[in-house]
Amino acid sequence: MTQRTPPRVSLPAVSAALAASLALALGTPALAGTVKGSVKLPETARSTRLYQGYWRLENGNVPVSNTGGAKAETVVVLDKVNGAHPPPARTVTVEMGGLDAHPRMVISGPGSVLEIKNTGKVRLDLSTPDTASVMPLEQLPPGATRRVKFDAVGGYAVHDAEYPHILISVIIVDSPFFATVDEKGGFSIPGLPDGKARLRVWARGKWAAEEEVDTGSKEDLVIKVAAPGSKDEKEKEAAE
Amino acid sequence: MFLSKIWFILIAVGCAVAVTFAMVAPRPAVQKLSGLEGQRLDRAQYAAEQMFKVDAHKWIDRVGKLGRDAILSESLDAASKGSGEYNVIHRTIQERFRSLIPDLATGGIDEIVALDTKGRVIARVGNNEKEYGDYIGGIEVVADALRGYLSDDVWGIGGRLQRVAGAPVLSKGKDRIVGAIYVAAETGSGLVERLKKNLDVDVALLLRGKVIASSRPEGELDALPELVAQHSGDIAELKRTPAIELTVGKQSLLAVAAPFPGQAGEQQAYYALIGVKPAKLDLPALIANVSSNDLKWGNFPWIPLAVGTFALIGIGLALQRIEVEAPLGKLRRELQKLAAGDIQKIDDHKYGGKYGGLARDVNAAVERFTHAPGARSEMAGKDLNAILGPSGGSTFDLPAAGSAFSGSTPAPAFAPPAAPAFAPPAAPAFPPPPPPGGFAPPPLPSFNPPPAPSFSAPPLPQPFSAGAATAGASLPPSIKPAPWAQPQQLPADAIDEGGATADRQMPDGEATRVVPYDQQEEEDAHFRHVFDDFVDTKRQCGEPTAGLTQAKFLQKLRDNKAALMSKHGCKTVRFSVYVKDGKAALRATPIRE
Repeated sequence: MTQRTPPRVSLPAVSAALAASLALALGTPALAGTVKGSVKLPETARSTRLYQGYWRLENGNVPVSNTGGAKAETVVVLDKVNGAHPPPARTVTVEMGGLDAHPRMVISGPGSVLEIKNTGKVRLDLSTPDTASVMPLEQLPPGATRRVKFDAVGGYAVHDAEYPHILISVIIVDSPFFATVDEKGGFSIPGLPDGKARLRVWARGKWAAEEEVDTGSKEDLVIKVAAPGSKDEKEKEAAE
Repeated sequence: MFLSKIWFILIAVGCAVAVTFAMVAPRPAVQKLSGLEGQRLDRAQYAAEQMFKVDAHKWIDRVGKLGRDAILSESLDAASKGSGEYNVIHRTIQERFRSLIPDLATGGIDEIVALDTKGRVIARVGNNEKEYGDYIGGIEVVADALRGYLSDDVWGIGGRLQRVAGAPVLSKGKDRIVGAIYVAAETGSGLVERLKKNLDVDVALLLRGKVIASSRPEGELDALPELVAQHSGDIAELKRTPAIELTVGKQSLLAVAAPFPGQAGEQQAYYALIGVKPAKLDLPALIANVSSNDLKWGNFPWIPLAVGTFALIGIGLALQRIEVEAPLGKLRRELQKLAAGDIQKIDDHKYGGKYGGLARDVNAAVERFTHAPGARSEMAGKDLNAILGPSGGSTFDLPAAGSAFSGSTPAPAFAPPAAPAFAPPAAPAFPPPPPPGGFAPPPLPSFNPPPAPSFSAPPLPQPFSAGAATAGASLPPSIKPAPWAQPQQLPADAIDEGGATADRQMPDGEATRVVPYDQQEEEDAHFRHVFDDFVDTKRQCGEPTAGLTQAKFLQKLRDNKAALMSKHGCKTVRFSVYVKDGKAALRATPIRE
């Protein structure tokens, strides 16, 4: 049996490897943290509907479905992350048909363009009512396309004046660290550099919660979203 | 007078309180009425909300019942599966709708729409019933129905409001959802009229800052959407506004607005309930609004008011009677008695306040006219120094001890100036001419019957001087000393008719008695009176009176009188008693005429 001699490593190769490791260690932050947890939406926000009437009753024969709808448009965004860079700008197309938007949520970097195609048979009147300068009210006839550029970081709710239930959430982020929540409200954002960051929750067309987090913490976060019209909600709106 | 004044003050304060109450009372009443109207609107809003809620449930029940129809179920199941002829299914469903609900308008239905599981419209009746095949699955009511929910919503589309109820359509075996149906109910003038009839208030429907239906005349409520928008905070928190004031012409209205639920709420869709604010109610408005019915016996407390009024008047008059008229009448009667000579002076202790002062003033006047030798201005409170000058004053003080005169002191020398005003008349003619001024004539004969020698009488019944007459002129007519102040107008035979007192009837019926005059007797009476006063005063001052005899006292007075008369050339001397340094003393006053 012949004994194999271990290959010898040349000194220049070792030096190069050490140099590369050192450069990596000094030039980029440690990518080790994961922020995870759950978003607790209030009872009224768990509905798939944005606007409630007087009654919502089950049929009594067939189980009802509670998937999708407005509650699926909840996203957790981390910004002010140490050393993070915004995602690149891109053009996102949203088709408007059947009095609905597909997709209902767009998350992208600053400078992105939202392209809205009206594939339905109804004329639309779309705008961002809270930030009218970004997207003023404008008619969008069937078959027409409208493009809107979003430069500033933030959240934008695109509504239709005639059909308020039509909502396109446009989130312009300054970091690639964001995640949509699952049916139970859970989320996970991996690969975060250690440090402090601001966590914000976008739900039902507006920022619903915000808090400072330590990205190096191993603990699960529980973010409670205040009910619309509650005292906490009013205080938050007053602060904004 | 005290109680009368208090009474008038109380009446004035009562009137002020009544006027204040009359001015102020309507305001809280108006506020109360406004508050009540606001509460009425609040209750009406609550009732309207319940009506909408019940209505929504009724529509859900109806559309749920439609969804259980077998023909509709089979048709939509086929449409969802893509089996069968699409146009046939469309017509089948339309006809089924029309057979189940022949008159949509009577039922207040705008449209009924049937959809397959993809949200595609299979058939419509009512609005746009020729259109089908479009996808509307994004509408929340439709999406909910396809998830298995029966629900309602309110839409604001095309400037109109629609209440919508949707329900799933289940398969024949009730095991899956094969489609959905929704019904849109009319929400405009018909609803407004129904609400007004049920709630007894005016109603308006607002959408996107415009009034789209109202039970009030068109244009009256144009300002309402803006006012409602100003209360967005209240709407978000309370789901309604407080009572908002709205002026329409000369009328003030109160409005309570509440948002519609569903997506119309996002489109500023409100229903407003409107009441009339109570008119301005100030005092003139209150009086102007009084009707004859309000003044009927049963509605207005006439009797208590009359009793109260007369009681107030009666109390005031009684107090006037007690405090003014009664003492005044009493005083007048006493003055008449005084003038008639029935009494010597007024009993001023019986009178209080100013009447007592008046009585005392009258007594003082009478006292002066009956006791003083001259006018008040020349004798009362003055010594001879003040009358005759620094060198002519003469007071005649008698020390308390040492002699019968309590240490009589030589009378001070009189040094009357040679003023022509004091020149005695050459002859005591009767009636003497009025004095040129200054001194008053000697006192008149007493009108009291003898023996009341407490006051002196002049040698002759001379008339009062002009000064005395002037003094008397300040008194009321009833107490003027006219009867005895002008004896010069009496005929000579009226003075002495055999020594008897002669009564003379005066023009006003008052009687004056004139008594015969004896100078020596009058002087003796005067001296005795002075002696009595002197003894009384000494006793009052606590001085001993032992050894003080009337004879010695009178003799001393005569000596002093003679000395003074010779020294000053006066006609007579009058003495008076006064207190000096706590001791009784005498003062001598020369009388020149």
